[in-house]
Amino acid sequence: MADETPTPAVTESEQPANTHDGKPIMEVKVYAPFQVYFEGSAYSVSAVNDTGPFDILPRHHNFLCMLVPCNLVVKPVEGDSKIIKVHRALMHVKADRVVVFMDV
Amino acid sequence: MRRPLEIRAQENAVRSVVSLTSALESLSSMQIAKTKNKVLISNQFFDEVWSIYKQIRVDALFNFGRQVDEKPIDKELLILITAKGGLSGDIDQRLIRKFIERYDQAKNDVLVIGHHGALKLKQSHIDYTYYFDLPEKDYINLDPLMDITKKYTRSRIFYQDYISLSQQEIKDVDLSEVVSSKGRIADMSSVGDDLVSEKNYIFEPSSYAVAAYLENSILRLTLAQFIYDSRLAQVASRFKAMSAAKERSVDTATQLHTEYNRAKRNQVDTRLKESLAGLKKIRAEGAA
Repeated sequence: MADETPTPAVTESEQPANTHDGKPIMEVKVYAPFQVYFEGSAYSVSAVNDTGPFDILPRHHNFLCMLVPCNLVVKPVEGDSKIIKVHRALMHVKADRVVVFMDV
Repeated sequence: MRRPLEIRAQENAVRSVVSLTSALESLSSMQIAKTKNKVLISNQFFDEVWSIYKQIRVDALFNFGRQVDEKPIDKELLILITAKGGLSGDIDQRLIRKFIERYDQAKNDVLVIGHHGALKLKQSHIDYTYYFDLPEKDYINLDPLMDITKKYTRSRIFYQDYISLSQQEIKDVDLSEVVSSKGRIADMSSVGDDLVSEKNYIFEPSSYAVAAYLENSILRLTLAQFIYDSRLAQVASRFKAMSAAKERSVDTATQLHTEYNRAKRNQVDTRLKESLAGLKKIRAEGAA
């Protein structure tokens, strides 16, 4: 699981994470060339890659992976969880910013 | 001189052409705004993927996402992106002319996108190897095109580039070169901590798998970008053609209207002359 990887020395985790109601948050953008599926602050993102299901939480280490067909779940700061069907996508995580490039 | 009724009928026909070209001009104008907006939105997406690709690239040569043991066809694939139908001005004709300058039957295979281009090639007696319709929707499934591109050692793409509303250019680029040059980082020292490597990133399933996947994605995005650019250039060219056609038909209608008035006046003058001649004759007979 990606979020179980020990945090290495070079990481953004030394910087204080953004919080909402005391809980750390991150910026998430899920988009395709012509459509933005989600953009905003979130507590977590869950998806599936070749290794299996995984979660991305704030202060996650830099991460780049290919997603397999799955349901991507975003837990936003406000409102219910967003479920986005993924056919093919690339996920990039860096400095508390998660970007999912759909259909690439 | 032609009869006024004939001229009137022709003028009415030309006025219909004015209405038609005017409607098509408005339609093209709306399509330009819509397509331009979409191209701008998609560019943001492309730029972000490109920036990751720039940082992760490991070798200087773009491999078209091929496996090392795959042997490609030793020919250059020429890809033409053309309109799906007529009424797009001379842009496709210009593209075909440029393509013919380079085409060599022994060295090239041809892949044409768009029905209009396929027709133009047939008119020029050139056989194409592959054909695809020009996609109309936003999402383009480029997998079949990718599969063909990967089979060849080199691919060159002929496309239409939107410069402005009044200017569209025909361009041809080597697909490998364009991907390599865009992916190349001019100054490695400027990359600094942004470089995506195993030292500062976790890759899943592996860095090589992600790099290979990105190489495929970049090829897909590059092809998609060329198609979107061509679409924009085509609607702009159609707008230009329709504006010119409208202007010409308005001029013709005005000329025909003047000609009609002249013919009508001429007809009245002739009748008047005939009446006067008749009157003179009657008076002369009465005097005698």
